[in-house]
Amino acid sequence: MTVAAGTRCVGIVALLLVAVLAVPDQAAAQERRRPAASPPAPRPQTVVRAFGDLGMTFFTASDTFDAVLGSPMGVVFGGGAEVVLPQRLFFSGRVSHFQKSGERVFVLDDEVFPLDIDTTVSITPVEVTAGYRFHARGRNRNMIPYLGGGVGWHRYDETADFAETGDDVSKTFVGYHVLGGAEFRMGRTFGIGGEAQWTTIPDALGDEPGSASAAFDESDLGGISFRVRFIIGR
Amino acid sequence: MTVLTRTRSHAAAFIGVALWLVTIAAQDVIPPASSRATTARLGLPGIDRGLRPDAEARRVRKATDLPARRATAGARYLPGSVIVKFRRGTPAATEAAIRTLVRGRATADLSYATFQIMALDQDADPEGVAQRLAAQPDVEYAQARYRVQPLFTPNDPLYSLQWNFPALDMERAWEINRGASSEVVVAVLDTGMAYRNISFDQSSIAQTIDNVFYPSLGTVHLTFAAAPELGSADRFVAPHDFIWDDATPVDMDGHGTHVAGTIAQLTNNSVGVAGMAFNVKLMPVKVIDGFWDAYFGSPFIGTDDTIARGIHYAVDAGAKLINMSIGRTGAPAPAVREAFNYAVSHGVFVAVAGGNEFLDGNPSGRFAELAPQIDGVVAVAATARDRARASYSSTGPYIELAAPGGDSTRSGVTGMIVQQTYDFDFTDTFVNGATGFRPPRFDMFEYIYYQGTSMAAAHTTGLAALLLQQGITKPAAIEAAMKAFATDLGAAGRDDQYGYGVINPRATLRGSGVVR
Repeated sequence: MTVAAGTRCVGIVALLLVAVLAVPDQAAAQERRRPAASPPAPRPQTVVRAFGDLGMTFFTASDTFDAVLGSPMGVVFGGGAEVVLPQRLFFSGRVSHFQKSGERVFVLDDEVFPLDIDTTVSITPVEVTAGYRFHARGRNRNMIPYLGGGVGWHRYDETADFAETGDDVSKTFVGYHVLGGAEFRMGRTFGIGGEAQWTTIPDALGDEPGSASAAFDESDLGGISFRVRFIIGR
Repeated sequence: MTVLTRTRSHAAAFIGVALWLVTIAAQDVIPPASSRATTARLGLPGIDRGLRPDAEARRVRKATDLPARRATAGARYLPGSVIVKFRRGTPAATEAAIRTLVRGRATADLSYATFQIMALDQDADPEGVAQRLAAQPDVEYAQARYRVQPLFTPNDPLYSLQWNFPALDMERAWEINRGASSEVVVAVLDTGMAYRNISFDQSSIAQTIDNVFYPSLGTVHLTFAAAPELGSADRFVAPHDFIWDDATPVDMDGHGTHVAGTIAQLTNNSVGVAGMAFNVKLMPVKVIDGFWDAYFGSPFIGTDDTIARGIHYAVDAGAKLINMSIGRTGAPAPAVREAFNYAVSHGVFVAVAGGNEFLDGNPSGRFAELAPQIDGVVAVAATARDRARASYSSTGPYIELAAPGGDSTRSGVTGMIVQQTYDFDFTDTFVNGATGFRPPRFDMFEYIYYQGTSMAAAHTTGLAALLLQQGITKPAAIEAAMKAFATDLGAAGRDDQYGYGVINPRATLRGSGVVR
């Protein structure tokens, strides 16, 4: 791409952003011009929306994941749908996925000895969340904060080289989470949000004596996630 | 000094276990030292006389030699294709439609295949596609093309007699680590090793050993040969002899050669038997004496000081692992303790035989009892073929691990550990006292059964070599890994018979994942 073409693209994107951001203001201006005797505003409706997200998870079992996967965090992507009720309550269902490869290890006194045996861990949570969306007020009326909490079923798969029957792991653990974030309306049908989630999946790790999680005495598969959400819908 | 038990088989029946005792008090009867003159630096190669004729007949096992597959051993299935079988009578158009459904493509028919290979995109999920295909009514079955992992079964023709390796699940362990590498140097502190071809002219005098009178044989021409199953000269590094105080630690007994075989016998070479860590280099360090060393008047015999010096030497000469299939009872051994600490502090792991004295009052093994006090030194008990503790294997709070040592009282002669060492018909001419007493030959080899915690220690050293190669580089970590993944036997948890249990090479080599 040439410099000129790049500049043109940036310009177009900027114009689009201005246009999108201007939509709510035009609506507000129209409201201001509305005569006092006009009919009441339409009642809020139940809205169904879809979303996708991309973010990072920092695992509570940081030593374990750092030892086996070389990092205590990883990229998570997901998506789902949510229903927003007129009372500003919302209910969402989300499926996400984390996958990372590393190598099996031996741990002694927090010292890690990599064993050159490839392993892959994947976590696929299915989560349902209920929460409340706060009123957008004042100058930030395009920003809608929200809080929620829920339960998740976390499918955990761990495979490794030289595995035979019974060596690999495929289990589902139940976890609980709370989340909070803010959604920025970019238009009538599109929004972007930032969200943080704390998840606990107690007693998922550490119960097998030979595991790295047992060596580090870590038992919670949860963690803290930060993600960007892309919302399609009103 | 106790040289741990060795047993051999004979024609009609098993003759018995030869337990070699050299006590500290024996220093009082050290014969006058004599010199030995090398007459030939090169000699004839050793003669491999095979298995002793009265032992179990040879059963040659089918060879499976697939060394090149290691690099792809981990892949579970081939990407980009699946196996599918359509039901009989399925029209070609239907087959094509089903292929389209999963974005598959037909491939050429394979000979002897009752199914088809369906090509997929490289990034397709073969397991997922197979599931979708299997759900179609016109598909009899579909599956990913799972890789088949060949078990490494050494092609050594007498491998079938080595129950001890399958008992340790070594065939699957060798899939993970095939015998370590020449970067790993294992010092075998023992009676020496049949590691080179050489001859000596050795003078002798009449003397009494262990209350038996032996006449003089005059000047004897002693011929030594390298054990054919231990490898060529480049396999041995920094040999040293603390019994004769020179750099030629030839074995005049056979014990050290047998122990070295369990650790590192040449394997998958279509000859004889196998060893655990068959690619390592060996450092022969002679620290204990046999009958012939005593008879020919070696300047030293095996005592705590030769052991301690041998440990220091092996560490300084570059060994990463030390096998000590030796031990003694009696008074404590501070000199050996210091040497153990020296070894571990320099990153050298030590395996010590737990002792063979259970039936003799079960006294503490003085070297073995140091092991629990030093991380990186382990004391090893012996198990029989049926995994029970061997009847002779000493017990006590110092036993940390167990490994196959064999027990003829439970499983007969073939329930012991077979490796290559000297043909005792040519070396043990002293067993009947003066009757038949004649000069020994150390160039005739056989595959002979031994039993003892010596053998158990050697298995543990072999595993240590594999672990070192795999990435566990610290002695304390090697010990901890062996304990963590040992197969618990006897009372739950650590006990005085098996310690933390029998070593589990495969599990130890695989180590830990996040959850399992």
